[in-house]
Amino acid sequence: MSNSPQAAEAPIAEEETPSSLDESAVERISEGAPSWLSERRRHAWSVFEDTPFPSTRSEEWRYTDVSRVVNLADLRLVTDGGLAENGSRPAGLVAAMEEDLAASGHAVLVDGSVVHVDLDPALEEQGVILTSLRSAVHEHGDLLEELLATEVVPPEDGKLQALNAALWTDGVLLYVPRNVKLDLPVRVTRWVSHAGSAVFARTLIVAEPESQLSYVEELLSDDFDQRTFVSSAVEVIARDGAQIQFVSIQQLGRDVFCQSAQRTLAHRDAKLDTLNVSLGASVTRLDLNSRLLGPGAHSELLGLYFGDEDQHFDHNTSQDHVAPDTGSDLLYKGALDDRAQSAFRGMIRVHRDAQRTDAYQTNRNLLLSDECRANSLPNLEIQADDVRCSHGATVGQLDSEALFYLLSRGLSQDQAERLIVLGFLGDVLARLPLGGVVEKVTRAIERKLEHV
Amino acid sequence: MSDTSILTITDLRAKVADEDLEILTGVNLEIRPGEVHTIMGPNGSGKSTLAKVLAGHPEYEVTSGDVVFKGQPLLDLEPNERALAGMFLAFQYPTEIPGVSIANFLRTALQARLEDGEEVDLFDFQDELLDRMKLLDMDPSFAERPVNDGFSGGEKKRNEILQMAVLRPSLALMDETDSGLDIDALQIVANGVNTLREENPEMAILLITHYQRMLNYIQPDAVHVMVGGRIVLSGGPEVAIALEEQGYADWKEQEGDEEGKKEEGKEEKEQEEALTA
Repeated sequence: MSNSPQAAEAPIAEEETPSSLDESAVERISEGAPSWLSERRRHAWSVFEDTPFPSTRSEEWRYTDVSRVVNLADLRLVTDGGLAENGSRPAGLVAAMEEDLAASGHAVLVDGSVVHVDLDPALEEQGVILTSLRSAVHEHGDLLEELLATEVVPPEDGKLQALNAALWTDGVLLYVPRNVKLDLPVRVTRWVSHAGSAVFARTLIVAEPESQLSYVEELLSDDFDQRTFVSSAVEVIARDGAQIQFVSIQQLGRDVFCQSAQRTLAHRDAKLDTLNVSLGASVTRLDLNSRLLGPGAHSELLGLYFGDEDQHFDHNTSQDHVAPDTGSDLLYKGALDDRAQSAFRGMIRVHRDAQRTDAYQTNRNLLLSDECRANSLPNLEIQADDVRCSHGATVGQLDSEALFYLLSRGLSQDQAERLIVLGFLGDVLARLPLGGVVEKVTRAIERKLEHV
Repeated sequence: MSDTSILTITDLRAKVADEDLEILTGVNLEIRPGEVHTIMGPNGSGKSTLAKVLAGHPEYEVTSGDVVFKGQPLLDLEPNERALAGMFLAFQYPTEIPGVSIANFLRTALQARLEDGEEVDLFDFQDELLDRMKLLDMDPSFAERPVNDGFSGGEKKRNEILQMAVLRPSLALMDETDSGLDIDALQIVANGVNTLREENPEMAILLITHYQRMLNYIQPDAVHVMVGGRIVLSGGPEVAIALEEQGYADWKEQEGDEEGKKEEGKEEKEQEEALTA
């Protein structure tokens, strides 16, 4: 087990002059990169240019008007981990880094660039790789050439996915060889420091056959007074019999547009579970596609969101059952207060050969004010005939009888709401009880409830 | 027992908040510390409404009258302030709170009784909770179950008394706690309540029930009969026994007779009441 990264050995680089999001940026980022990567970036840029901006007329973007959420021309690209001018670390990042939770290793990213990595030496000896994508380009070029931004989250997935594939500056590679099991999670902290910046990072996680890993990332920043764009592409591959737990806890500050495209591939007998917790940012868009590619593969898709003020969450999920005898179970739950809005669009797709699929999908929303709104659109597309599928969505108000019951025991209105909300959201966390995650998320929700 | 009353209800009238439907039509009642009062009466007579009005349920609106609890006007207090002042309502139909464990719920309820900056000691709390669960013959695993979620009727009622045992009120309103309990569970609950009374002889109880059988285990100091939203007869335990034998038919008739004697100004309300009876 390694210690938490209190003292990062990599000094934070001097701030580069940020550039606009255009083709020259692609060229500049590509300098010194292997040709396959430069080609791939140029290709992604051309896909970006050829792809129209998502419109609310399309089913998938009905509830989020990106053209009003972010104006790419106003943003500046940060290509190096240029932190605060004097090189000191903001309190929020330091607090996150000093949290002493047991881990197999850590990575810290500032403005999309990795500034620290540590890994348990015993795991390193077994061939586990935890490194920045930027160094992996040189050290593990073959692996990246095969997997990065190709089959998992290719630029063709959409306008914003293409932009990320063209302009990503850095990210995390976690590779676990065959039969190696990580007992403790890899913990990743991603800090964003510049208001008005655009940050493009990627994550590539590969678990070879019969291996096991868990990955917990946190996205953090202060509140901004200018629209800031944080873009992520997450590619997760579980080979035959591998087990992966992926957790992302998003607590970015206000005025951030957080966009994340995630795809998970679960091969034969693999177990690949995800938990996405969205608490921060002004606008959050998650596209998660979970693909069950081999018989016996199973995925749980867990999600939790809690919005207040004018926060907006848009979750777009799909469960793709490609192989027979696969299972997936989705549970997304959210609570909304003030004028917060959420949209959930979930698709279960059972391909023709995916007989004996078990696929479930549940989205539940709890409304705490009269002005908040939740939209839920569950969908099924089933081409096989021997399947068990169900989907359900609920939107409900705070139960006034439950509230009175708690008040009658002496709880204040705030205490009562806190218990009801945590009780409502808690079962999502209980399904993926990784060390520290439940406590961390509970504390974050409590902090938000105190503002109510 | 002290001479000063813990609860004084004077001509209390209340209606359903969103409707013009008067349920309590002038209740008068005085309870002194340590006393057990029973209210009996037919369905729809207003017994449960009285308990809910005293606890501050927003479904009801007090239209006139006064309630003094421990020397303070009660009706201006929020429901949680009433609880903090020492009132406890054991619900007839306890509400489910999904995802919230009994332990967490009760710890928060105790926390609410402390000053800012004070914290419930977790170890003391665990000991106390286990001790109280033992009193009610409850399995320790019960503490981790979500409040009333998936409970049987009997478990819900027992859970109400567990909360009462932990929160130690000075006045407990027990709304048909006996209904839905088999005879064994009834004895356990009654023994629990009696133990609480021994621990705190000042604790007063207002026991709302349909049946006399609960009174075999918890001796009342006074029995009141409620019909048509007010108390029409008060007496000792013999009243309960008489009711068990004769039912409420006489009282309903008598209520009808009284109707004519009322002064003219109140006629309208009385008619509505007759409709609801």
